[in-house]
Amino acid sequence: MSTVRVVWYSVLSGANDYWSIFTLKSWVFGWVIRVVSQVTFFALIGTLLQSEAQTNFLLVGNAVMVAGMGATFALHQPTSERGNGTLSLLLASPSRPVVVMLARGLYVVADAIWSALLGLAIVGPAFGLEFPWPRALLVIPLTALVGISAYCFSTFLAGVIIAHRNINNLVVNTTIVALMALCGVNVPVSYFPDWLERIVELLPITDGLEAIRGVLAGDPWSSVAAHVGGELLAASGWLAIALLTFGRFIRAGQRDGSLEFAS
Amino acid sequence: MRAFLAGARVQLRFMVAYPDSLIPFFTAPLFTIVFMLVFKHAGRQDLTAYAAIAPVFIALWWLALFNSGWTITTERWNGTLEMLVAAPSSFGAVIFGRIAATTAVGTLSFFEAWIVARLIFGATVTIHHWGAFVLTAFATLAAMAGTAVGMAALFVLARNAVTFSNSASYPFYVLGGILVPVSLLPHWVRPLSAVVFLSWSADLLRATLDAAPIHDFWPHLGMVVLLGACGYAVGLAALRVILVRVRGSGELSTT
Repeated sequence: MSTVRVVWYSVLSGANDYWSIFTLKSWVFGWVIRVVSQVTFFALIGTLLQSEAQTNFLLVGNAVMVAGMGATFALHQPTSERGNGTLSLLLASPSRPVVVMLARGLYVVADAIWSALLGLAIVGPAFGLEFPWPRALLVIPLTALVGISAYCFSTFLAGVIIAHRNINNLVVNTTIVALMALCGVNVPVSYFPDWLERIVELLPITDGLEAIRGVLAGDPWSSVAAHVGGELLAASGWLAIALLTFGRFIRAGQRDGSLEFAS
Repeated sequence: MRAFLAGARVQLRFMVAYPDSLIPFFTAPLFTIVFMLVFKHAGRQDLTAYAAIAPVFIALWWLALFNSGWTITTERWNGTLEMLVAAPSSFGAVIFGRIAATTAVGTLSFFEAWIVARLIFGATVTIHHWGAFVLTAFATLAAMAGTAVGMAALFVLARNAVTFSNSASYPFYVLGGILVPVSLLPHWVRPLSAVVFLSWSADLLRATLDAAPIHDFWPHLGMVVLLGACGYAVGLAALRVILVRVRGSGELSTT
């Protein structure tokens, strides 16, 4: 019961953080325009290639990637706790830091998922992307799955870099572009060598995105379900690793004093 | 000039001290891989020059945008903005020195992108018009720095410059035609692109990598220089107005 309270207050705290970052105006005229532009930027490559199939592939991939990108931004959270001087208070409390961190970032994931869907809904029709009805509705929960899966991965990474605040932005940005390169966002993973394809299947986004492509392309449900299963496995795997390791990284930081406010 | 050089020196020290400021040098090779993968998968190796040029613009734009934004924000956080404004040196010159130094370092991304194209994909980027390439690259760097000064002026008044910076990347990548030429954008977008210097310099830089003769080189180069100079002039003028205003209203240190 106390864990539920911790989660609830963490979510509330996260939501307050969120609205201190964005106003409705800056969200619409800043963030949404950026998301639409990002999806358009990649969809236009298909126009350059004079290929409708490439356009659709790049458009869907990069719209869904927004969910993964936003979830990766949650990496900023533990380091901003350090910057604000609140990490030591959190560590001194009886709650598990990883529970607080996971719950506080839920608003980031929700925003990422919503942004991805918005990008798909706005840019898709502009490039003639068809949404088969009613199965296209499945894109909503699948995009949520991709966002959550990427969030589990980023929570694990957050633990890894919690003692290295000076490289936080570097890790966030390189992770996002690496995921764009590897997870079937811009080219099918089957294009990679076998060994790389096997590795890529362990990453978040890959299977969830395949499932979304399958839904839109009218693939058999068995194929879609297999990819959903793959993404669920990836999400739970990264969540388990995050839960297992986060505390260790925190304790290591406490031992060597690398979690202090000023570093 | 001394203020400019002092700003440049400080910025280079910042870059060495904070690995986060080197982000574009890590993402430029990755973007090259993304674009090269797409073109190679589509069987369009003829677009290698496109894939090699776009990451350079992304890196340069990121550096100019985020360094100008962060410059003001970190000065505010550190409580040094008031001292910088009160100093007898030109505030604009110090800021321009910092931005120019960062932009100059950004030229490394040229080599990164082209080395990745060569080593991973075996693609060669050939410069067919060396003179035009050097002139365009130089004009692009100058225009990038000048435009960033204009943005820095906006950031002085922004409550959260980073939010603005985060939003001003992809819209300009599209309008600037850094990967997909402006000629492929809808007609109603093109007038907007015409006032973004990136669109002129991206077209020119791609043309220098093509064996075909470059048409209208000088007018295009002139537009890059003109728009960059406009950004710089507007930035300096806005900084003067803004500084007078915030000194009077006491808003300078408001964070």
